[in-house]
Amino acid sequence: MSSETEDMGVRHLMLRSLDRIVAEKAGHAVQAADGKPGFPTELWSALEEAGMTALGEENEGDLGLGNAAALVERAAYHTLPVPLAETLLARRLLAKAGIEIPDGALSVAPPSASHDGRAAGVPWASAVRGVVVATGPDILALIDARDVAAPGFNMAGEPRETIDLARARVIARARLADAPRVVEAEGALIRAVQLSGGMSRVLEHGLTWANDRIQFGRPIARFQAIQHLMAELAAEAAAASAAALMAVEAAAVRSDRFAIAVAKARTGEAAGRVCAIAHEVFGAMGFTQEHTLHYATRRLWSWRNEFGSEVQWQSEIGRMIAAGGADNLWATLTAHG
Amino acid sequence: MTEYDQGAAAMPEFRFEPVVMPPAATGLRAEVRAFLDEEKAKGTFVATVGAMVAADPAFSARLGARGYLGMTWPKAYGGHERSALERYVVVEELLAAGAPVMAHWIADRQSGPQILKHGSERARKTILPEIAAGRCYFAIGMSEPDTGSDLASVKTRAVPVEGGFRVTGRKVWTSYAHKAHYVIALVRTGGRPEDRHVGLTQLIIDMKSPGVEVRPIINVYGAHEFNEVTFDDVFVPEDMTVGAVGQGWAMVTSELAFERSGPDRFMSTYPLLVEAFREVGGSPAPMEAAELGRLVAHLATLRRMSTSIAGMLNSGKSPITEAALVKDLGTTFEQSIPEITRRLLPLEPRAAGNGQAYDSLQQLAQMQAPCYSIRGGTREILRGMIARGLGLR
Repeated sequence: MSSETEDMGVRHLMLRSLDRIVAEKAGHAVQAADGKPGFPTELWSALEEAGMTALGEENEGDLGLGNAAALVERAAYHTLPVPLAETLLARRLLAKAGIEIPDGALSVAPPSASHDGRAAGVPWASAVRGVVVATGPDILALIDARDVAAPGFNMAGEPRETIDLARARVIARARLADAPRVVEAEGALIRAVQLSGGMSRVLEHGLTWANDRIQFGRPIARFQAIQHLMAELAAEAAAASAAALMAVEAAAVRSDRFAIAVAKARTGEAAGRVCAIAHEVFGAMGFTQEHTLHYATRRLWSWRNEFGSEVQWQSEIGRMIAAGGADNLWATLTAHG
Repeated sequence: MTEYDQGAAAMPEFRFEPVVMPPAATGLRAEVRAFLDEEKAKGTFVATVGAMVAADPAFSARLGARGYLGMTWPKAYGGHERSALERYVVVEELLAAGAPVMAHWIADRQSGPQILKHGSERARKTILPEIAAGRCYFAIGMSEPDTGSDLASVKTRAVPVEGGFRVTGRKVWTSYAHKAHYVIALVRTGGRPEDRHVGLTQLIIDMKSPGVEVRPIINVYGAHEFNEVTFDDVFVPEDMTVGAVGQGWAMVTSELAFERSGPDRFMSTYPLLVEAFREVGGSPAPMEAAELGRLVAHLATLRRMSTSIAGMLNSGKSPITEAALVKDLGTTFEQSIPEITRRLLPLEPRAAGNGQAYDSLQQLAQMQAPCYSIRGGTREILRGMIARGLGLR
């Protein structure tokens, strides 16, 4: 009880400290990074100095998964253009495979986007010290892809690059059972957490806008049509946050593919509805880059596709339950909640 | 405008923290499940959609005998002094099994707790042990012919007389009133309908009282759940008020968090989902896997939100907006199950054989679904409440 309270206190301080770093150092970093090459070194160093990049619960001195996830969620809320989530993910995976974890920013190649010796959709590949790749059914590798990555971006203008695996330098390699599946699931977990954080930003934008925007002589928040849209947005965001939180808790104590599948399926679905409603409420202003809404909504549109779209994870859940038999559905639900 | 200058502190944040189930809950769950399997094997019931409106008084009495009703109440009133979370486990197991819980449902969930909290000692002593035994059933008299969502406009009047009140008026959509022993009615003890929230009181009315008349109202699919209850100068003893005279509105609104976030707000068509999985078999087609998997993801999330709220309620919080969010999401979910499954598994006439359970649940679910987002506060009323919680009104 007391350690739990202490933990919540630490988390609160950490999140406030992140907010402060963002206020002081992020400046126009989001705008500057949008769809352009480069790396926000100053911002990253500030996070590093604050101890926010040593993530991954299986290492001594690291933040626990719950704290790390809270930080990633908050960074997503701030739409920060740094590979914080990817670094946490890489560290978790390296720890699982028993590979020594290098300092600094890291990334992970999404297994479903690796074909014919090329790993596509790799976040920040040319800017990070190492990229974690599942190079075989049971093999995890850490590679240096800085000189062999072709540029590219996701819908949010975040770097998503293509690595020529044959030309990358292998830093380390180890056995990890079911490596591609493990990487896909851990990646989905981290994206689910980010989706939840991004949705809380969109909710906040929407509430502020609805209360500030005056039409017909009153704030549009006074119109029932707007109220009902915002209520639905809040419900979807709340469901997403609950699903992500549930998966983080599960992953902190065991390997729980079902909980992760639920989280990515539910957050991915919610993201679509949340973005659609927010843009409807914002009208033309939200459909421009004059307002910052797009930094959050374009990330949500991107993240819902990465490490398995909601449809892929829904299908996996469906197959999992069908294989276990209809009468075991309830037992599965109660065992995971 | 810069990206980061908005204060995040003012933003409403809904966090659904995990609830720690008491150690006894695990054993209890297994025990309830075994009991329900046994009952099903004996043929006591067949899993149905809308378990909340399927009544079997004998089954309710068996639940009472096993200590599954009035679980959280003091032993002095026939209760079992167990935690609200243990009760949650029992309730969700009953709903997951599609067991007929209507007879005792309102008494156990709503009326009993109100009487325990706000009733007279006589009401507690005479009524609560009977509810806990599964022998005493309640109905709720809120809506009237001219009063639905606008509940504060009730006209049924209770006039103070020697030793109590004389009640005259009419209630409608009163579920189970034809079998219930009592109705808790929201009546006007003061003021006029224009006075709205002022002057409303809740009274426990014995259905056997002279002047009470019950007329069935048959619902859209031909079942008799609803009634119209007419009170013609019905005497109600003074000690059958629930809470202070004139405080009815506060009580009606405060109890809603309990009523809106429970598993009954998203489990109504769960048995149809189970049958749909049975129909698609062990190797579903891609679309079947995705659509049914999507429903499971929703259900797992709703369950988390609901148990989290149960935990908040257990620790004395009043998560009104969170509960409204769960009911909005939950009823949308339970309404979507028949619509989605019928796209995967068309409902076509077929001769006897496999799939009969699916077919009959599918038909009933389609016809029953509209009521989910009406009862207990319409979706539109709830969205208004959520908007208020968000600071939009």
